Amino acid sequence: MSKPLLSIKNVSKSFSLGDYEIQALQQVSLDLNKGECLAIVGESGSGKSTLANIIMGIYPQSDGEISFKGSTLPLKRLLSHRKDIQFVQQNPLSSINPSRSIGESLRLPLDVHRIGHANERNNRVSELLTEVGLTSNYSKRYPSTMSGGQLQRVAIARALACAPELVVLDEPTSSLDVLVQSRVLSLLQKLRKKRSLSFLFVTHDLAVVRNIADYVAVFKEGKLVELNGVNELFSKPVHSYTKRLLSAIPVISEDEIQLLNQIKEKE
Amino acid sequence: MSDSLLDIQNLSLSFQGLTETVDVLDNINLSISRGERVALVGESGSGKSVIARIILGLLQSQKGAIVKGSVRFRGIELEAATGNQIESLRGREISMIFQDPTSSMNPVYKIGTIFHEILNRGTHNISKKLALIKASKLLEEVSITEFKRVLESYPFQLSGGMNQRVMIALALANKPALLIADEPGTALDVTVQAQTLKLMHNLVKKNNTAVLFISHNLGVVHQFADRVYVIYKGRIVESGSTSSIFENTKHPYTKALMNAVPKITSKSFFDASDDSSLFKQPAFHHKDREIGQ
Repeated sequence: MSKPLLSIKNVSKSFSLGDYEIQALQQVSLDLNKGECLAIVGESGSGKSTLANIIMGIYPQSDGEISFKGSTLPLKRLLSHRKDIQFVQQNPLSSINPSRSIGESLRLPLDVHRIGHANERNNRVSELLTEVGLTSNYSKRYPSTMSGGQLQRVAIARALACAPELVVLDEPTSSLDVLVQSRVLSLLQKLRKKRSLSFLFVTHDLAVVRNIADYVAVFKEGKLVELNGVNELFSKPVHSYTKRLLSAIPVISEDEIQLLNQIKEKE
Repeated sequence: MSDSLLDIQNLSLSFQGLTETVDVLDNINLSISRGERVALVGESGSGKSVIARIILGLLQSQKGAIVKGSVRFRGIELEAATGNQIESLRGREISMIFQDPTSSMNPVYKIGTIFHEILNRGTHNISKKLALIKASKLLEEVSITEFKRVLESYPFQLSGGMNQRVMIALALANKPALLIADEPGTALDVTVQAQTLKLMHNLVKKNNTAVLFISHNLGVVHQFADRVYVIYKGRIVESGSTSSIFENTKHPYTKALMNAVPKITSKSFFDASDDSSLFKQPAFHHKDREIGQ
């Protein structure tokens, strides 16, 4: 068996808040293979974003080990790690620097990681913009003049700029409305196929998970309660909490209602 | 129609900018009967939230806002009503739930004090003690069992889901005839959203409150509304009973919205085209009209 791309072993994280401690993650172990999409699902406060932040090195884990391509990730990420693991956050308005033009924001990762020849980088920026369905005219614009959906595309383009292997997506579409969400998600899916990327997809929306993930990890109060293939999760969920999450999905069509009823009947 | 609680006719809104006027709403017709749950669905920027603000009279006084048309509540023309009349409607006859519950409550007051203020609008000079007793009952109705702690807390000390339930209790405190819910679940995650919507559903049914439910997600609306209006760029593009909208979708924009809701029975996402010329087709109004239930 080949080594997993990202391996999380017994990772715990606690935050101390004055007198008491909050256990945000408890002994979580997960593997992500190359080219796979692992979804992390749970309600707010379940620790899913904490895990994403730890993988990105925003703060260290209290306990446990994370390895990437077989080597342990040090707290201070090496330049090569930063290049290979990229992050897309929930709210593009706060994750993209408002005082830089879109072109400057997209050029920055290319400059930092010395990708391509300096004169060609502006062309690369245009290519990236077209890749996410925007035009090169956007490079002169500033974030305040763009909509949430357009900005989230810019955030995706920036994450892809240095050709990463793993993209950590922390609720990339939950601040967008449904029509824009479906456009951004179908773009992500296309890009993943085209560039054979691995995704760690943090979300609370199981209906989204169904359409993009290969494996699903369900988190509850900092613990991993179920790890299952996406087809298995939607046909025979194991944990009672997963079943509750499934029944909370707003459904509109007959076949969806049937599917949920089938799951209920199996209990 | 005598049964109509809220009747909006030929409502238009534009904003006067420095160099140009921006048209926000174009000839909106919308009506809600007593006890009827109506959903208004559209994407961000379509004008759905400004309709709510016009009903509450929050926009008319704004500089540069040009409102035309008529909004009638119980036959009273709101445009002609005095400030006092509108003021007495708010919180008593019409109340509103906003998208982000935590920021829509005053952070310097405890929940108990906020309840006292609201209940005082319904019953003048209500004592603090009586208000708190009433508030506990209201909180119990929204499944908050530890109401003592909640009443003693400030809004920022409670979770989003808890605050949203407090908001629902506050909005329904004076048994209003109309509740306007502006994206009440969007700031919450799926499980909490499902719970709060269910709760709201049961309560409005019990009190026979009419609801104007504003959302961008057709999936959320499906189980809640009797009738649906779909709005696109300030124009109603399709309206009708929930069943006819969902089973007999006519307008291309409604179809796109419908497809955009991720389904648990599919394996890929709907890639909505950016070509919006399709969405400019004439509006379609389903003939059926279900009045109340």
